[in-house]
Amino acid sequence: MMNLSRSVALISLFLLPLLSFSFSVDNPTDRRVLVLLDDLSLKSSHSIFFNNLKSRGFDLDFKLADDSKLALQRYGQYLFDGLIIFAPSTERLGGSLDSKSIADFVDSGRDLILSADTSASDLIRGIATECGVDFDEDSSAMVIDHTSFSVSDVDGDHTLIAADDLVKSDVILGKAKIEAPVLFRGVAHSLNPTNNLVFKVLSASPSAYSANPSSKLSSPPQLTGSAISLVSVMQARNNARVVISGSLQLFSDRLIRSGVQKAGSQNQYEKSGNEQFVTELSKWVFHERGHLKAGSLVHHRVGETDEPAIYRIKDDLEFSVEIYEWSGKSWEPYVANDVQVQFYMMSPYVLKTLSADKKGLFHTSFKVPDVYGVFQFKVEYEKLGYTTLSLSKQIPVRPYRHNEYERFIPTAYPYYGACFTTMAGFFVFSFVYLYHK
Amino acid sequence: MVKSTTKDARDLFHTLRSAYVATPTNLKIIDLYVCFAVFTALIQVAYMALVGSFPFNSFLSGVLSCIGTAVLAVCLRIQVNKENKEFKNLAPERAFADFVLCNLVLHLVIINFLG
Repeated sequence: MMNLSRSVALISLFLLPLLSFSFSVDNPTDRRVLVLLDDLSLKSSHSIFFNNLKSRGFDLDFKLADDSKLALQRYGQYLFDGLIIFAPSTERLGGSLDSKSIADFVDSGRDLILSADTSASDLIRGIATECGVDFDEDSSAMVIDHTSFSVSDVDGDHTLIAADDLVKSDVILGKAKIEAPVLFRGVAHSLNPTNNLVFKVLSASPSAYSANPSSKLSSPPQLTGSAISLVSVMQARNNARVVISGSLQLFSDRLIRSGVQKAGSQNQYEKSGNEQFVTELSKWVFHERGHLKAGSLVHHRVGETDEPAIYRIKDDLEFSVEIYEWSGKSWEPYVANDVQVQFYMMSPYVLKTLSADKKGLFHTSFKVPDVYGVFQFKVEYEKLGYTTLSLSKQIPVRPYRHNEYERFIPTAYPYYGACFTTMAGFFVFSFVYLYHK
Repeated sequence: MVKSTTKDARDLFHTLRSAYVATPTNLKIIDLYVCFAVFTALIQVAYMALVGSFPFNSFLSGVLSCIGTAVLAVCLRIQVNKENKEFKNLAPERAFADFVLCNLVLHLVIINFLG
């Protein structure tokens, strides 16, 4: 009995490193995802979305949101790489979870999908505010759109809207265009315009507004038009990605399977754009796409291969950096024409766009400016939907040494000529003076 | 009044000219040398006014060589001129030797400062 338990313990000790295999620098796609639900029937009502995630290799762990044994960390190590919170009505999370621990989770670089619905609790609103997204304060308000609603809306209060104002980004929504509108039914949220880390992925049309559908409007609604965001996304400075959706039904099987026809338009689609939308968005948020990695910066003088410790002004130098993009399975060379390098000392003296070759090497060459001091090569790449690259390398630049100036200055040739002419004249004069008759 | 001033000017010019013709040849050679040196200096100043004073040391060196040698030639002329009472006891060879040595030093300094 003792021997058996001891051997099991030994075996599990060897297996433990494998069990804690999560996302790493070399393999940035998330592995284990904790799914918090406020009702276990969501497992079946959103089965298409969850099965899609499972088929892509994610380890989903379904738990009730107020389960008392919930834990994100154990002994200082995070147990999960991603978190999906489909629990819009939960007031308190169970176990050791609260809004602070979820904020720490995102701070550690891990990803989150948060969804509110027609009733969003204060807890969910608090977590969303931490990420820069403000839900409508009125807890009974929903998004209503009298011109962009779906014709299949049975309630007739125009809360099931067909939205097609998607962000133009291939990296977030995939290369294939989402043809059909996306069905949405839920609450509105807005983004702080000064926050440059959040942006709207699905916005409402200009005719939408946020109000209680079952009561008369007593005053003009606060959130209207395109300021209403239906699904937004935040990429934090540590490249953690957060998706915040105002509708849980967006992910549901019912809306995924249903056809859609936008009111006022002739096009009728058999299947809404929901499945493609949530699939592509989940690929982006769990780092299957749009994750960049850069090798170190390499610079050297033209004609040399070693990196010098110091440059001289007006030297010609070549600069290169390697950037790779994660394709979900492997690192592919990144191809873009807008990566720039700065030669920076308090302000950029040189700003050049790097030219890419197909193997992921970005290079350029330029002349060191006529200023000496301590410069930095800086690559700051912040493209919508991609991880931010922030690389820098310091290098000093010295002025000319006394023997590096040009030997004879062309502008001074007349003066050289005059001196020698005077000497020759003196020589001739002395001969003439002495030997004249 | 005007006519008398122009007549005076012309008379002055003629007097100077005839006096100058009478000077000894060696003094005339020295005068020619001085004119050449000053002319070279003026060309350099005109060039600097055109192009700017970028290698200022070269400009100074060029101008100084011309002016310096002109000054030394003027000193030689003063010492060698027989009508000059002050230098009656100075042998003209001594004056010329001084002139040569000073010029050597001048040109040494000039080439060093030329850069």
